[in-house]
Amino acid sequence: MEATIHRKGLINWWLLGALGAATVAVARYAHSAAGLVGAVFLGLGFLVAAVSYLQMRLEERERLEQMEFDELKKRAGSASLFAEQAVDTFPARRAREQFGRFFVPVFAMVLLLAEGVAVYLLWQHLSNDLPAPPERGTVAMALYGLFALLAFQFGKYSAVLARLQAHRLLRPQASYLLLGALLSLVSALVEVAAWAGYPGVDLVVARLLVVVLGLVALESLLRLVFEIYRPRVKGQAALPLYESRLLGLLSQPGGLITTAAQALDYQFGFKVSETWFYRFLEQALARLVLIQLAVVLVSTMFVVIEPGEQGLLERFGRPAAGQAVLDPGLHLKLPWPISRVYRYQTDRIQSFTIGVAHDEHEDDHDTHGSPAPTASERVMIWSKPHHAKEEFNLLVASRTQDATNRLALEQTVPVNLLAVNIPVQYQVSNLRDFAYQHVNGGELLERLAYGEVTRYLVSVDLDDIMAAGRQQAAEDLRARIQARADEFEIGVTILFVGLHEIHPPVKVAPDFERVIGALQERAATNLFARGYAATNVPVAKGQAARKLNEALAYQTRVTAVAEGAAGRFTNQMAAAQASPEVYRLRTYLDTLSRSIGSSRKYVLVPTNVQDVVTLNLEDKLRPDLLDVPVPVPRN
Amino acid sequence: MKRNTLTLLTGGVVLLIFVAMLFGYQVRKTESAVVTTFGKYSSTRSEPGLYFRLPWPIQSVHRFDNRTRNFAKKYEQTTTRDGRILMIEVYLGWRVTDPRIFLERFGGDLDRAESNLEILLRAAQNSVVGQHPLSDFISTNADELKFDDIETEMLAAIKPRAAANSGIEVVLLGIKQIGLPESITTKVFERMKAEREQLVKQFQGEGAAEAIRIRSEADYERDKILAEAERRATVIKGQADAASAAALKTFEQDPELAVFLLKLNALEQSLKERATLILDTKTPPFDLLKGQPELPAKTR
Repeated sequence: MEATIHRKGLINWWLLGALGAATVAVARYAHSAAGLVGAVFLGLGFLVAAVSYLQMRLEERERLEQMEFDELKKRAGSASLFAEQAVDTFPARRAREQFGRFFVPVFAMVLLLAEGVAVYLLWQHLSNDLPAPPERGTVAMALYGLFALLAFQFGKYSAVLARLQAHRLLRPQASYLLLGALLSLVSALVEVAAWAGYPGVDLVVARLLVVVLGLVALESLLRLVFEIYRPRVKGQAALPLYESRLLGLLSQPGGLITTAAQALDYQFGFKVSETWFYRFLEQALARLVLIQLAVVLVSTMFVVIEPGEQGLLERFGRPAAGQAVLDPGLHLKLPWPISRVYRYQTDRIQSFTIGVAHDEHEDDHDTHGSPAPTASERVMIWSKPHHAKEEFNLLVASRTQDATNRLALEQTVPVNLLAVNIPVQYQVSNLRDFAYQHVNGGELLERLAYGEVTRYLVSVDLDDIMAAGRQQAAEDLRARIQARADEFEIGVTILFVGLHEIHPPVKVAPDFERVIGALQERAATNLFARGYAATNVPVAKGQAARKLNEALAYQTRVTAVAEGAAGRFTNQMAAAQASPEVYRLRTYLDTLSRSIGSSRKYVLVPTNVQDVVTLNLEDKLRPDLLDVPVPVPRN
Repeated sequence: MKRNTLTLLTGGVVLLIFVAMLFGYQVRKTESAVVTTFGKYSSTRSEPGLYFRLPWPIQSVHRFDNRTRNFAKKYEQTTTRDGRILMIEVYLGWRVTDPRIFLERFGGDLDRAESNLEILLRAAQNSVVGQHPLSDFISTNADELKFDDIETEMLAAIKPRAAANSGIEVVLLGIKQIGLPESITTKVFERMKAEREQLVKQFQGEGAAEAIRIRSEADYERDKILAEAERRATVIKGQADAASAAALKTFEQDPELAVFLLKLNALEQSLKERATLILDTKTPPFDLLKGQPELPAKTR
């Protein structure tokens, strides 16, 4: 009997291997995607069956060892001989324990890895796969049928045997055999569908099976995690870690609920299914679910549109007649999924900027939690980029290019460049158009606006738009963008177009600033000259007045002096007549004494007229120390 | 019994929901749907509403947004008819008009459809731009611009090609931006700098010229004032000289004495400054150095 059990395990193992190999061959022959996925399942089953078989053999050896031990114990008639059960006394048990403790968890992890890799590779393979031609479908159909029959017979037989606790290790093998039978049957049906003219079914089924394999892998992962926390109950046999509960549904009696309850009991280590809560839940579950469903359905009949929002009400996908657009407030509607509401923030002012590269996250950072700008960041000048984002330079016409020497200018680039950051603000004004005409109306509006700005700039002169034309340009642009938005029924109103950030590109901005500087310099030079004029003319007037006054003074002086001299002469004449010689001598001597008093005088007293007198009349250029007059001491 | 009825009712409701989800589907106003049975085309639903279907995987419903969607081609370099290099970015709006053909041609993949449209758009764009000179794209005279014509030509070129066997209609097309390649942009910058430099020199020159004009006018005004003053002063001095000459008649009464006194005055004036005199004893009063003159006999 016991020999039959592990022979059965061996047969199952080999059968799974053989079926897997045969399925691969048939799948390749018939180019069957579903068959290929089925073969992968059978391959995994082959690995599980091998480990299961090994465990069976180890448990069998342990059981024989225990029997021998019991036999020896009876013959010896005394327990004292085996009172101390040394470790070496039960090598088979120790081997089985070591197997369960180390090999099985490692194998379970390897199995999880293999399942994950298989899911990834199969999905990649199927995404490039094409439906197979149905020419070889008949042979494949027959072979898959045969495989299904074989696997079902052996699987069902093993599943029945596995109900016995001693044969529980047959259950993983039985599960995979029954799964193999099911997959072979599905593969055969897929071939039937292909033969009937539906080759696409193969890929659909294959993808579905890959999803199932993914679920199995997920379950393996959860099983490994839960195994760590599972309480060990003495006397309770541990379920094989590599056995899938999901696939076990195929080989275990009872339904899903029973299997789930057993799984809970096993996981928590006590009878969860016997607690009052579980029983209450079991009794009231249907009522609770029904109430919950009713509450959910009723709650979908009320809709609250928030301030600033509008909603589109649709009934079976059609705009609801008479109330297609819902304004803020409470509204009643038919329950989901009959009526649905789509909300839009129509009152919110939305904006975008033309001329700056997009960074969707930056706006969030700007408004939420970003540090306050520093002093240098608050100052915006042309020669430094205004935005961290990239700024585009747009083409602008140049009036100089329309000059007469156009032919010569053809050799150069007849354009200017302008850095433009134009904020555009808009609001949804016609929700139906906004929601139903375009997938992304905001994006289209931005592109239309960008195009209009481009079109506008290439027709205006750089200096015009930089100067007084800016206000008019902003209004023109707003009107043109609005016209384009209306033309394509975007359903928005353009509120504002700002041209305040329009300036020369950063690289040439310093040169533009120099021009402004030159204008100031011109004004300054002008003012300096006016200052010169303002000084010189009055000074000249003053000098002229002085000249006149000097002349008048001269006139007065000369006249007075002449009159004085004449009066004096009359008196002198009288004196001279009184004593002509004495008066003349006296006058002469008076004058001489007054005149030569401070002069250097040499008086020659010649005694010998033959002598030659030589005098050095040179003046010293620099006086000697002795020539410096000593200051008179103060008393 | 009651419990079984409730359970059955609950099960029935849940089953109804599942059945409704499995056997029904909605098509929105913004959608079109293609139904396939085991991958084979069955029907197209373009009107919004609730429709019946067989559950997956027997029938699949492929939904397509029938609204206009837009995308922009890459900013690309091209040449105009007069051989000028231009960067241009064009946007395009399109929508699915025949969902069945769209599904068959592109597998319902919007990205693939837009890739296909981008190829067509590039061809149309390069072809049309190559037929126009640069002056059609940029001019201060708005009447010379041919943006509308260029966009219409591009749309006309791409529309039939896109519509042919792809289930797509190109609804709109526009030029988003035009520009210049980096190398030419650098040259434009240099030219713009030169223009500004010219303006700087011009303004500096104008300033200097104006200053010279103002200064020279001021100098002229000054000289004019001074000259006038000089003229009037000279006249006044002449009048003074004439008036003083009248006093000279007094000196005519004794010309010899007048000359003597004038000489004495001139002598005094000339000896005021530093002077060195070499005198002999003949010059009075130094003749006293030769000896005391004898007194007359009467005095003695």
